[in-house]
Amino acid sequence: MKELKESIIKRIKANFADAVERNDFKDNRLDFSVKKETIPAILFYLKDEMGFVHLSDVNCVDWLEDGELEVVFIVWSPADKIKVFVRTRLDRDNAVMDNLDMIWRQMNTYERELREMFGVQFTGLEAPEEFILEDWQGPPPFRRDFDSAAYAEKTFWHRPGREDAQDVRESIADRDGEEIPDFAKKYSR
Amino acid sequence: MREKATTLYIGPQHPGITGNMMVKVQVEGDTIVKARTEVGYLHRAFEKLQESRNWLQSFTLLCRFCVPEPDPVEESYARAVELLEGREVPERAKYIRVLMLELARMASYMLWYGGQNGSLGLYTMGQWSVGDRNYILDLFEELTGGRVYHMYIWPGGVRRDLPDGFADKVLRTMDYLEKRLKDYDDLMFENTIFQKRTQGVGIISKEKAVEWGVVGPVLRGCGIKSDIRIDDPYEVYDKLDFIVPTQEGGDIWARALVRRQEIRQSIRIIRQVIEKMPSGEFYNRIPNPHKWTLPKGDAYARTEATRGEVGMYIVSDGSTHPRRTHFRGAAYVHGITLLEDLLIGENVADISAIMNSLGTCPPEIER
Amino acid sequence: MSFFDLNGTLKPLTALKQFGKKPHTISYPKESKEAADRYRGLHFNDLDECIGCGNCSTICQNAAIDMIHIEGHDGKKGDSGLRPRVDNGRCCWCALCVEVCPTGSLSLTKDYLYVSEDPDSFLWTPGKDNPEGKEQISFFSTEETSLNVLDRVPMPELEGKERVKSFAEVVLGYNEAEARAEASRCISCGLCTEVCPEHMHIPEYINAIAAGNDADAVRIIYDNNPLPEMCGKVCTRRCEDVCAIASRGEALAIRWLKRYATETAVTADITREIVNPEIREANGKTVGIIGAGPSGLTAAYYLALRGYDVTIYESSAKAGGATMYGIPKYRLPIESLDKQIDYIKSIGVKINFNTKVGKDISFKEIYNKFDAVFMGVGFPDAWSLGVDGEDAKGSMQAFRYLYMINSGDKVDIGDKVIVVGGGNVAIDAARVSRRFGADVTILYRRRVEDMPADWEEIEGAEDEGVHIIPQGIPIKVHKDENGHVKSVEYLKAEMVPDPKGGRPKPVAIEGSNTIIEATAVMAAIGQMGDYSFLEKEFEDKIKIERGRFIVNEKQQTGDPKVFAGGDAVNRTADAISAIADGFRACKAIDEMLSA
Repeated sequence: MKELKESIIKRIKANFADAVERNDFKDNRLDFSVKKETIPAILFYLKDEMGFVHLSDVNCVDWLEDGELEVVFIVWSPADKIKVFVRTRLDRDNAVMDNLDMIWRQMNTYERELREMFGVQFTGLEAPEEFILEDWQGPPPFRRDFDSAAYAEKTFWHRPGREDAQDVRESIADRDGEEIPDFAKKYSR
Repeated sequence: MREKATTLYIGPQHPGITGNMMVKVQVEGDTIVKARTEVGYLHRAFEKLQESRNWLQSFTLLCRFCVPEPDPVEESYARAVELLEGREVPERAKYIRVLMLELARMASYMLWYGGQNGSLGLYTMGQWSVGDRNYILDLFEELTGGRVYHMYIWPGGVRRDLPDGFADKVLRTMDYLEKRLKDYDDLMFENTIFQKRTQGVGIISKEKAVEWGVVGPVLRGCGIKSDIRIDDPYEVYDKLDFIVPTQEGGDIWARALVRRQEIRQSIRIIRQVIEKMPSGEFYNRIPNPHKWTLPKGDAYARTEATRGEVGMYIVSDGSTHPRRTHFRGAAYVHGITLLEDLLIGENVADISAIMNSLGTCPPEIER
Repeated sequence: MSFFDLNGTLKPLTALKQFGKKPHTISYPKESKEAADRYRGLHFNDLDECIGCGNCSTICQNAAIDMIHIEGHDGKKGDSGLRPRVDNGRCCWCALCVEVCPTGSLSLTKDYLYVSEDPDSFLWTPGKDNPEGKEQISFFSTEETSLNVLDRVPMPELEGKERVKSFAEVVLGYNEAEARAEASRCISCGLCTEVCPEHMHIPEYINAIAAGNDADAVRIIYDNNPLPEMCGKVCTRRCEDVCAIASRGEALAIRWLKRYATETAVTADITREIVNPEIREANGKTVGIIGAGPSGLTAAYYLALRGYDVTIYESSAKAGGATMYGIPKYRLPIESLDKQIDYIKSIGVKINFNTKVGKDISFKEIYNKFDAVFMGVGFPDAWSLGVDGEDAKGSMQAFRYLYMINSGDKVDIGDKVIVVGGGNVAIDAARVSRRFGADVTILYRRRVEDMPADWEEIEGAEDEGVHIIPQGIPIKVHKDENGHVKSVEYLKAEMVPDPKGGRPKPVAIEGSNTIIEATAVMAAIGQMGDYSFLEKEFEDKIKIERGRFIVNEKQQTGDPKVFAGGDAVNRTADAISAIADGFRACKAIDEMLSA
C-alpha cells in the first residue's frame, strides 16, 4: 500500500508540478491540492491513465475567513483500491472554474448544486438555471455568511404558546442577584 | 406521420414516483423523447443545519436522508467522525453495526419488492413483502427503540447492546424470511408479467455505467462486480464470507435478479454475524457532546447501501460543530442525469418501473 | 419466449395457498401493538429527581424542549426549579435528552399514541401531564450509556510517605491537558453558582478553560473574587456538592479548575496584565478596613477598583487572615498567597501590618478618620475542651498551634500528639504534627463519616499515617510530675439516633474509660471572636449576639457607617463566605457613599 501510494504521488507530481500531496493517512487515502486550472487535466489523467474511474463525491467548503471556497473531488480506483482527494481553492468573490461533466456525466448534477448553493460558476455548464431552489433571490445559501437561522426567523414565525420558556443559567443568576459580566456571557451556554 | 409531442408531468405527487419529485417528460405517442427531472420538494438543507448542530446532535438528522434505509447513512457519518478523530470502535459494536446494516438492507429490498412490483401493477407482492418487512422492523424496535428511524449507530459504537434473546429472535426471523423468499420467487420472478415488463427495459450498457457513475446493484446488474463491502471493506465485512452477485444485461430484470440474490446474501451475513459476534464493550464513550471537538481536517466514509454508494464527507475546523458535512447519495447520480438519459425511447408506462429499479430516492438527492 | 408462458402464468397463482392462513396483522383498533422494551415513545420525567439543569433542552436539536416553572417546584439549592416541557410536535424521539440527563430522571416510555385536533395540546410537561408514564418507562439511561462523563480527571498528588517529609504542596495541580479534559465534562447548567456564597461565574470560567482560553477564565474569575488562587486550593467548594454530574458520577473538580486557571497567571504582574482591571478615578472617599483576611481584602480590592482610597489595619505581620495563619502551607503555599496580595496591593490598597486595633490604634480613631469602616476581624480565639488537666504543659489550641507554625515559630509537641475534633482545623493540626515527626491520633466524638472536615483532607491525613479514633469523648488530661501532658483519658461513645430526625448523638458509655499516652494535646473544637477593641459607645450601637456581629443583608451593622463580614458575621465560617461578605459590603459601601 505504501509503495503504491508513493508511486501514485510520483506520477502525479511528475505530470502536475503544482500538485501538493498529503500522505499522512493511515487508510487507503491520498490527497492532492492543485491550482484550479489543473483540475480538468488531473481528473482526466486520474481517470483515463491511472484507473481512478469512479467519482465518489464532489463538494465545496466555504473558508469564509480565508475568502476562499474549496472544491473537493474524491475519486476511487477499483483496481488499486485507493481513494484520492483532489482539492482546489477558488476566490470567493470570483468562484469560477471549468465545466467537468465531460469527464463524468453525473458531474453535471454536482455542478448545478455547487452553482446554486455555493455560487461556484462552471464555465460551459449546460443545465437549467434552477436545481433545488425555486425563485431564489438571495445569496448562495450554503455559504457560511448566509445565516439560515436568521433567515428562518425573518421569513417564518413561531407558534405561540412557548413564551414562558426560561434559560436555566439566567434564571439561577436572577434568583441570586449574580451579575454575569458581558465579556463572560459568550461562555454561558 | 410524425406524432405530436405532448408534455406530461409525472409527480411530484404520484404513486409511481419513489418520493416527492417530478419527471417532466415529452412523449410522442407513448414513447418518451425527452425527460427532465425536477427536484426541490424535499429540500431541508440538512447539511447547512448540521453546521449549527454539534457533532453529536448532527447524527439525529441523518436517518432522514433516506427513509427506507437510514442505517448506512448513520454508519458512514459515525465512521467518518471516527476516522477524523482516530476513535477506536469496539469489535462487538462493529458486528452489531453490520447486523444493523444487513437488516436494513433486507428491509429496504423488501420495500423495493413492493415498489418495483407496484410500479408494474402487481400489488400482492408489495403487501407480502411490506408485511414481512415488519418483522425486521420489530427487530429494529427491540434493538434500537425505533422502527423506521433508528438513530442507533453513533460515533464510538452503537447506543445499546443487544437485548437478551435478541440473537435467537434474529435467527428465527431469518429462517422465516428465507422461506418466504421462495414464495416471492413464485409470485414475482416466475411471473410472466414481471418478466415481460422488465426484460429489455431500461438498459444500461457497461461503458455507460462507468461513464455515468452508476453504483450499487444497478452497476452489478450491468455485469460489473463492484461492492464497497469487498472493495473498500469497513466494519467487519472483511471477516465475513459472502459473494457479490452480478448479472449481465443491464435491464430492470438484471437489477432485480441482483437484488434477489443479495437479500439471500444478507441472510447469510446475518447468520455469520450472530455466530461470530464477540462479547465485550459496545460503545467507546465520546466526551461531553457539548464540548466535543474534532481535530482539524476532513474525512470521507462510504457505505454500500441498497441504492449503491452512500458516503459522508465531513470537514472540521477544530470546533464543536462541523464546518461542513456533505452526504453523497447513490440516488444523486442515478436519479437525475442517468434517469433523464435512460428514459429516452422508453414507454411512458415504464417510467415508474425504471425509477424503482434505479433506487431513486428524492430525499437523498436534495437532502 | 412464447406469448403464452404456462409456468409463468400458473406460478403466481400459488399465492392462493395463502388463503386461510392466519394474517400477520393485528386488528387495530381492537388491539394496539405492545411496544418493545426499549421503545422510544413519549417522555416521562421524574419531577422530584429532576434538578432542572436544562441539559435536555440544550442537546435537543429540534428546539423541542423548554425549561419552565411548574407549580410545586420552586427551586432550591442544587435545583433550578425549572422542568422540561416537550413540544411533541417538534420532537423526533432521538432520545439524546435521555442520554445526557445527568440524574436519569428523564426517560421515554412505551406510550406512543396521542391524537388531538388541538395543536397546542402537544406541549407536554413530562411527569406532570403523564404521571402514569412512570409505569411505562422503556428507554432510559444508565451510568453505562450516559453521555455525561462521570469520572473526574484524577488530581496528581505527592505520595503519602513523601508528603510528611516536608511542607511541600501536596496537590500538584492539573496540567493543561488534564484541565481541558476536566473542564470539558461541564454541562454549564450553573446550579453550582447558586450554592457558592459568592456566586462565582463557574460555568463561564470552566467553559473558557475548556475552550482553551485561560486568560478569559482568569478575567471571569477575578470579576468577583480577588483571592481565587487561595480558593482554588482550599475552598470548601460547596459548588461541587450540587454539581449535576455528581448525581451519578464525580462532581466537576471546580476548585481544581479555578486553581489551574489562576496558576497560569504566575506572578502578580502577570495577573495584573491578564485581568487588566478598569480602575476608576479616585473619588476622594476613604474606607478603613480592620483585618486583612479574605473579607477585608475583598472589600478593599473592589472598593479600590471603584476609586476609593482604602486602608487596611492588620494586627499580624502578613495579610491573609485565617488563610495565612490557619491553613498549613502544604495546602496553601505562602508564595501563592503573597502573589495574590501583591496583586491586590498593586491596584492601590494600602495595608498597615502589625497594627492591632484597640492597641496600636483605637477603633474610634478609625471610625472618625474614614467615610466608612469594614470589619473583617475573624475569630482569633478558640474554645477550650473544658476537661480536667487542660492547663498542662503541652496542652494547646490547635488553631494557636497552626498560627505559630505558620508564623515560623517552633512549638514543642513531643512525639505523641492527640488532636481533639473533626473539622478542618483538627485535620490540619494533625497533618502538620505528622510533618514534625510525631505520631498523631485524632479523637472525635462522632463517626468518621460525620466529620465536618473535607473528605479529601481526611483521606490525606489517613494516607499520611494519622490515626483516627472515632466515637471517643475526652474526659481528662493526665499530667506527669512536671505538670506536662502524660496521657489523655476518654470514654467510648455510642451513636444514639435523634428522635427528632437530626443527626445521631454520641453518648458516652459508662466504664469504657481508655487512656492513651500523649506528649501534646490539641483542642480543635471551634473558634470564637474577640471584640474587646470596640469602645463601649460602639459596642452598644454595633450589636453583637452569640459571639457574632448582627448585620443586615448589606453587611451593615447597627451603625450605618460600619460594615462587617467574615467569620465574625456568618455561620459558615469559610473563606468563600467571607469573600462574599466583603463583596456585598463593597457594593453597599459604594452605594452609600456615592448616594
